[in-house]
Order: sequence, then structure tokens, then C-alpha cells
Amino acid sequence: MKKQIITSLIGILIAFLIGLIILKLQNYPALESYKQLLNYSLFSRFSLFSTLNKAAPLILTGLSAAIAFGSGAVNLGQVGQFLIGAISVTVAGLFLNLPPVIMLPTLILIALLAGALYAGIAAFLKLKFGMDEFITTLMLNFIAQFFTLYLITGPLLDKKMFSPMTEAINRSAWFPNFSGLDFSFILALIILVVIYFIWNHTKMGYEWKVMGQNDLFARTGGVKINSNYLKVMLLSGALASLAGAMLIMGGVQHRFLKGIGANYGWDGVMVAVVANNGVIGTGLYALFFAMLQTGAMGMELETSVPLEFVLVLQAITVLFVVASRESAHLLFNRLKMYFKLRGIKSKEEGQADETTN
Amino acid sequence: MKLLIELIRSTMLAATPILLASLGGTYTYYANIFNIAMEGMMLIGAFFAVLGSYLSGSWLIGLLAGVGGGLLAALIFVFFAVYMKTDEFVTGIALNMFALGGTTYLLRQIFSVKGAFTSSKIIGIPSWEIPIIDQIPVLGKLLSGYPFIVYLALLLAILVEIHIYKTKFGLRLRATGEDDQTVDSVGINSDQIKSISIILSGVLSGLGGVFLSLGYVTLFAENMSNGRGWIALAVIILTRGRPLGLLMMSLLFGFFDGLGLTLQGTMIPSQITQMVPYLATLVALYFYSKEKRPKEEKPNESLAV
Repeated sequence: MKKQIITSLIGILIAFLIGLIILKLQNYPALESYKQLLNYSLFSRFSLFSTLNKAAPLILTGLSAAIAFGSGAVNLGQVGQFLIGAISVTVAGLFLNLPPVIMLPTLILIALLAGALYAGIAAFLKLKFGMDEFITTLMLNFIAQFFTLYLITGPLLDKKMFSPMTEAINRSAWFPNFSGLDFSFILALIILVVIYFIWNHTKMGYEWKVMGQNDLFARTGGVKINSNYLKVMLLSGALASLAGAMLIMGGVQHRFLKGIGANYGWDGVMVAVVANNGVIGTGLYALFFAMLQTGAMGMELETSVPLEFVLVLQAITVLFVVASRESAHLLFNRLKMYFKLRGIKSKEEGQADETTN
Repeated sequence: MKLLIELIRSTMLAATPILLASLGGTYTYYANIFNIAMEGMMLIGAFFAVLGSYLSGSWLIGLLAGVGGGLLAALIFVFFAVYMKTDEFVTGIALNMFALGGTTYLLRQIFSVKGAFTSSKIIGIPSWEIPIIDQIPVLGKLLSGYPFIVYLALLLAILVEIHIYKTKFGLRLRATGEDDQTVDSVGINSDQIKSISIILSGVLSGLGGVFLSLGYVTLFAENMSNGRGWIALAVIILTRGRPLGLLMMSLLFGFFDGLGLTLQGTMIPSQITQMVPYLATLVALYFYSKEKRPKEEKPNESLAV
């Protein structure tokens, strides 16, 4: 754990240095930009809450990817599951109107079910026909993209607007807002704790981890691979889908706009891989990425660095954090080997000394 | 008849970028590298092609810049995956995100636009009119007048087949994919073979990107590769990397893509017809898995008896 924190920090530091060089080369005030990045993401209540609100869906898509990858299921369908979650609560929020106490749990449940079903398609194709979920989930992403686009440009279009979007959902489906902090973040934290418990303190979570580490060992150890795989995929899909629901039910728009939440799916995948599929790590990196993305807007405002810069910074961070983790691992092994060999050598020398004596 | 010719033409055009990316990816497939970065390599190639063509006013410079962009992406992949021993899957994901973020960033930084950049100063890839065939009524319309990268891609499919199956490098490449430690043990540097395979995949994917932004259309749009790199990956897996198989499969996907475009004039909404190539991939994967499955399950059945 300690090793992981150190390598993470080294990786982030290298990535930021490279970012600094990129900014300097383009004649931007580099240090000032970084300062504004932090200023607008952490150092006021409004900016901190913005960061936390942004982190909420990211935590869920991150967990979705982490659970799947950690159990050996390559679910890359977060993008599609996210959209399916968003569109299903949009439809429910438009046509259903119940008191908030019933409305909110109902919509959350609908989102969870919709995402689980959508990921379930890929799981079904895998279990029934042996089709690789890695490709099927990707293709389902594009299908979900076009399907939701069809709905919002056709049947669900708000004709008063100039670009494709739906009408705002009923007010009873809006998440409460605590003076700037969206309920989404609290929900995300609750889910994080639940997943942490499942992952680390239940037999099911243990079996999933074993499946991820060594499929053959899990098989011979009597883990029911198929049913566990199905559970993992359903849960993973449900989490990504709930992230999509948050974007509709939380925030300020409360409607499905064209291109909504475009980055959350893949950012979740990045958060999971950079955190090495750990639950706590996923939460922390989701916060970190949310901080960068929130601060970017302030940075653009103050030093006119295009906010897309942080997308580059994120990718570089992922590369260097993972690279420094793996090379630290290699270095550690090499050092261990070196000392082992030296131990043998000195022993041999010792024995040689004894014989000459 | 006219509709049929249109369909065949759009098939060829839609197949070309997928073919180029999958030809690139097949090198890494044979080297047993899990390369999912074709999407990003294409995108970077497409961006630099437009940049080069816009700044120089020459499609040739654009083409070279695009290929150079693909090469650059490949070198990043080589540095992390081969020399830093970073997980190939992670490297690929990060490179794709780097490409998406980087091109969007540069689009705003250099051209100060969001979404898409188009200009009359972007010079597209010239089309080739094949001299004699050009005169024949139907055949001329079918075979002549494509951007020349289309012909180049067809030629490359044959060359890559020969390169992988009939040359010393191809043998070493396939050996590296089978067992890289054995390759190292006979004195061939397997890291070098892997690096070359990644670089080739970058160059060919970059060329696919050039076709997208200077051949198919003459503009650059955010995320314009739009999953073609992923489809190329599916194509590779479905054909187990045989270049001529890639050609057939790419044409098939091009056909479905073209079909989607042709159907757009009908009652069916365009968003639904645009799903067609992705649905076709799922169907193709279904048949592929169905064919593969019985062979794998047989030993289990005999064990059960």
C-alpha cells in the first residue's frame, strides 16, 4: 500500500512536469496555470463542492471498471451503460410523477436495472455463445450512442430547443442539493462503502478477486465461474448506469442533452486502471481527475489555456503512474535478486575461505 | 443500377480506413501484443494530416505529416509497453485518451475551433482516374476515380500478406508472437521485433487516419475515427489476422457502412442506420464464436463420458 502511494506520487509528479514543459513551450504562464487549476477546484466551498459533484459519477464508472477488471471480466461498455442509465431515468422522469420519497428510489432502481440488463446482453452473449465481452461491450457502446441520439432527436425531442435534447424531467426526480453539494456525491460515497465491503469482506468478493488473479485456480477451487461472471457484469453495468442517472437527476440541467457525459465512461476505465482496480484507490483517483477537470475551467478563464489540456494531463498521468508502478516492481525484484545472489556469492566465498584455511 | 454503383463505391470508401488500421494491427497481433491503440493512432494521423495539408498547401506533406503522427503515437506505445513494461492494455487505453484529448486540445490551440475544423486551404488526396477502364461505362464508375489511398490499401493488403508469411522478418515476427523468450535465446532481439511491429501498426493506422481526414472528407472533427479502430480490432480477431481475410472482412463492414448511408434516404432514421456496422460486427462475432466453440468443447465432452 505504501509502495503504491509512493509510485503514484512519483508518476503524478512526472506527468505534471511534462505538462509544465508543454505549457512553457506554448508560452503559457505554466506555474500560474497550475495554481489556478488548484484554486478553482479546491480552495473555496463552491469550487470544492463542484469537484465533489463532478467526482460522483466518476467514482461509479471507475468502480464499474475496477470491479469488472479485478474479476477478469473486460467490461469496456461503461460508455453505453452510462447512456442507457441516463436515458432510462430521463424517460421515467418525464412520464412518472410521484412524491420524491418514492420517486427517487424508484428511478435509482430503474437505472440500476437498465444498466444491469444492458451489460447483461454482453454477459449473455459470452455465456451462451462464447462471444468476447471485450468486443461486444464496445459495439454496444456505439449502439447505445446512436440509440439515445435517435430518441432525443426523434420521439423525445424538446422542439423548443435548437440542439437535440429532451425536456427537463419532473421536479420530483431531482436530487436534493445541500447548499452546493449534490446528493449524487453522498450516494456515490455510500455505494463506494458498499462495494468496499462486498469486495473485501464477503465470500463473493473473495471469489471475484480470485477469478481476476487466476481463473484456473478459481475453477479448481470450486468457484462457480459462470454465475459469478454474470453477477460481476450485472453489477458493473448497474454502477455505470447509475452514474449516467446522476447526470440527469443531479446537477442543474435535468435533461438529456446530445453528447452528455461524453468522457465519464472512458475516464472511469482510466481511473480503474491507474488505481490498479483497488476500491479506495479508484475513489481517490476519481476525486483527483474530477479536481483536474473542474479546475480546468478556471484555468482557461484565468490563463486562457484550453481546458482540454487536462485531458492530455490525465492520459499522461495514467501512463506514468502505471509505468512507475511496474518499473518499481521490476526494480524491487531485481534488487531482491541482486542481494540474494550476493548472499550466495559471499556464502561461497566464505566456504572457499574455510577450505583454504 | 445507379443505387448499386453508389453502394459499391461507398463500400470501397468506408472499407479503406478499417482495412488500413487492421493491416497495421495485424502486425502487433502476430507479435502477440495486445494493441488497442489503433483508434488513437488513426485520430492522431487524421489530425496531423489536416495540419500538414493546411499549413503547406500540399496533400503530400499532409500525408507525410499524418503518417508521422501515427509513427509518433507508435513510439509512445513502444516506449511504455516494450521498454517500461507497462501493461499493453493500459498503454492502449491511455494512448487512445491521449489522442482524443490531445487532438481536441490542439484543435483549439492551433485552429481556435471546437468540434470540427474545415477550410478551403486543406488540400485533399487526389483521385485516380484509371486510363482505359475509365472509358468503360459501368466498370469505369465502379473501379476508377477513388482517392489513390484506396488503391494503395488494396496493394498493401497483398504486400502485408507476403511480408508476414514469406519473409524472414515475418517468420521472426510470428516466432516472437509464439514465444519471445525462445526468440531471444537464438540471438534475435524480440523487443526490437515487437517495436517494429508496433511502429508498422502506427504507420498504417496513421495512413488510415490520413484517408479519413483528407480522402473520405477534407476536414478534421473531434473524435472523427469514431470507433473504426475498434472495428479494425474486431476484424483482426475475426479473421485471425490473415491480411487477405482482413481485406474481405473490411469490405464486408464497408458494405454495411455504405448500406447504412444508402438507407438514410428511406423511412428509417439515420441514427438507426448508423448502427448497422456495429450490429454487423456483433453478428460476425456470433458466427465466429459458433464456429470456434464446438472444437473447444469436444475434449470436455469426452472427459465427461
